[in-house]
Amino acid sequence: MSTYVALLDGGKREESIDVKLLSPGVYEVKIGDQLHVVDAFKHDYGTLNIIVDTESYSVQLDQRATEVKVHLRDSVFTLEILDEKRLRMRRAAGKFTVEGKQTLATPMPGKVVKVLRKVGDEVKEGEGVVVVEAMKMENDIKSPKDGKVVEIFVQEGQAVEGGARLAVVE
Amino acid sequence: MPETRTIKKILVANRGEIAVRVLRTAREMGLRTVAVYSDADRGALHVRLAHEAVHIGPPPSGESYLVIDKIVEACRVTRADAVHPGYGFLSEKAEFARALDKAGIVFIGPRPESMDAMGVKTTARKNMAAAGVPTVPGSPAPIAEEKEAKAFAESIGYPVMIKAAAGGGGKGMKKCDRPEDFLPLWQSARREAGGAFGDDRLYIEKFLEKPRHVEIQVFFDAHGNGIWIGERECSVQRRQQKVIEESPSCILDEKMRRAMGEVAVKAGKAVGYRGAGTVEFLVDAGRNFYFLEMNTRLQVEHPVTEMCTGLDLVRMQIEVAQGLAIPAQEQVVRSGHAIEARVYAEDPARNFMPSPGKITYLRVPGGPGIRDDSGVYAGWLVPQFYDPMISKLLAWAPTRERAIARLLRALGDYHVHGITTNVPYLRNALRHPAFGSGDYDTGFCARYAKELLVPPDAKYEQTALIAAAIAAFKRDHDEAEAFAARAGEAQSVRSNWARIGRARALRGAVR
Repeated sequence: MSTYVALLDGGKREESIDVKLLSPGVYEVKIGDQLHVVDAFKHDYGTLNIIVDTESYSVQLDQRATEVKVHLRDSVFTLEILDEKRLRMRRAAGKFTVEGKQTLATPMPGKVVKVLRKVGDEVKEGEGVVVVEAMKMENDIKSPKDGKVVEIFVQEGQAVEGGARLAVVE
Repeated sequence: MPETRTIKKILVANRGEIAVRVLRTAREMGLRTVAVYSDADRGALHVRLAHEAVHIGPPPSGESYLVIDKIVEACRVTRADAVHPGYGFLSEKAEFARALDKAGIVFIGPRPESMDAMGVKTTARKNMAAAGVPTVPGSPAPIAEEKEAKAFAESIGYPVMIKAAAGGGGKGMKKCDRPEDFLPLWQSARREAGGAFGDDRLYIEKFLEKPRHVEIQVFFDAHGNGIWIGERECSVQRRQQKVIEESPSCILDEKMRRAMGEVAVKAGKAVGYRGAGTVEFLVDAGRNFYFLEMNTRLQVEHPVTEMCTGLDLVRMQIEVAQGLAIPAQEQVVRSGHAIEARVYAEDPARNFMPSPGKITYLRVPGGPGIRDDSGVYAGWLVPQFYDPMISKLLAWAPTRERAIARLLRALGDYHVHGITTNVPYLRNALRHPAFGSGDYDTGFCARYAKELLVPPDAKYEQTALIAAAIAAFKRDHDEAEAFAARAGEAQSVRSNWARIGRARALRGAVR
């Protein structure tokens, strides 16, 4: 048996799931006090069909850098799934928080078209700090908290990779 | 009688899904094809589908797809005798058509004079008014003085729209509800227009309440024939960007359709139009229609018309460019209902932030009445430099109700991994009661913004967790098995050379 922990709502909620292989393709899955026998068939990359009782679900698992997007019927659930070892490592690394220094990063590659704040400026939560253009559209990269801009890493006109650090707010 | 000329090789001066769309028809017609590509598009689908391909520069379109000289040079090198411009990029640049003409290459589109006549909005409005085409009430020419402009706004009554004469894409366009807001909005529109178009001339139009955007597809040949090929309703828009288009429009009856069609043909004839064009109208709550602008190119949403008529508009464009005649008005028969949904690489949950990146998995729907006009494939890295639209998914069915159901079904089978798309947003829009009733206007996306962003259904959360946990278990289990298999393999050495080598090493014979 293996135990997995799913982190939901950006890490604010946790669910523990036990999985046991009964016979090839058949699993016993325990969530909370619910026990399910599930027949699972992996079709190809990212596509898993599971039959719970007689209900058949075609589930798409879109694995990203850390999270997985689970597409099911009309819903998309974004979660992180960790085994016990990974969960311990993750806990040691610290909980998700907006306390202290926060680094602003661009979620997509693009070009910095405007730096709205300078070092020392006060910012409110949700206020734009840097504008990054990608795919012909301008996007505000916003501050996650009230605070002061302590560092800016980019200049107007600069090209940035996805995940690049833009600024630090404290 | 205009001369006919044969086209043997077409260069497609575009990228993405429209380049793929044009290449498909060109290949069906047995023509040789040439693609052009920037550094970011070396691996793009359109490059794979063309017979020849020419590199035209770095990723930014200003240094590649928009450089007239590079396209003309690519034609010269490949001896292409015609260019299809697609939409966007150089498609509505009269100087591009002129440059090709000078080089003896056929431009598959209208004459440059027609493009000039429709390019500046106030000129287009004046031409249309002179031809007896109804326009939105407004100033006949750009107004220079802000005091004069304000007086004009008061004379036609608020609310009004302040618009850029050189306008497009919503830049330099402001809605003004009250006289006290007029001057700041006017000045802001002037700055925006000057920055966006290098031309800060403004004019004023009456704002129509609950306007619908309905456009008519028209076609003209060099023999003086002009026809209209039905309408497309494009009122589902977000930030001046069309999202869902359909034909027929729920607001037109046969009489109004014919009236608009005839007006649209008149608009084209007034500027000596040739080839495919679209005349855009606004329809107000009282079902009065007004000329908005004419797009002198093939539209993104042209497949809606193709599905309702069985025509291939790209083939017709090429035939007109060869000097052939278009079908007669009576030969155009429309049937059923078609809807198009634009699949964008963007994340609606994060304020529609673009989502470029690598497509790790792609499965697209099929089945009756479905058409997928895509420009991507699994493994393709969607570049950050261009439009976020990756595909247009269409459904045709005998009735509107069935077309909606069919498109919903198909979108449910549309799977893109690695990047985020607006597919769930499209499904919510199609399912919205206001869309279902057909009673919607250009305010649809803004008015129902919250309802179109539905969070995941809590009743499926457990099932999602089960699936994710089993997938993780399988992954770990398979990894462990593969590891064990590799370890076993290492123990039973198959090669005799390796066995001898190892034995010698153990004896210490060879160092």
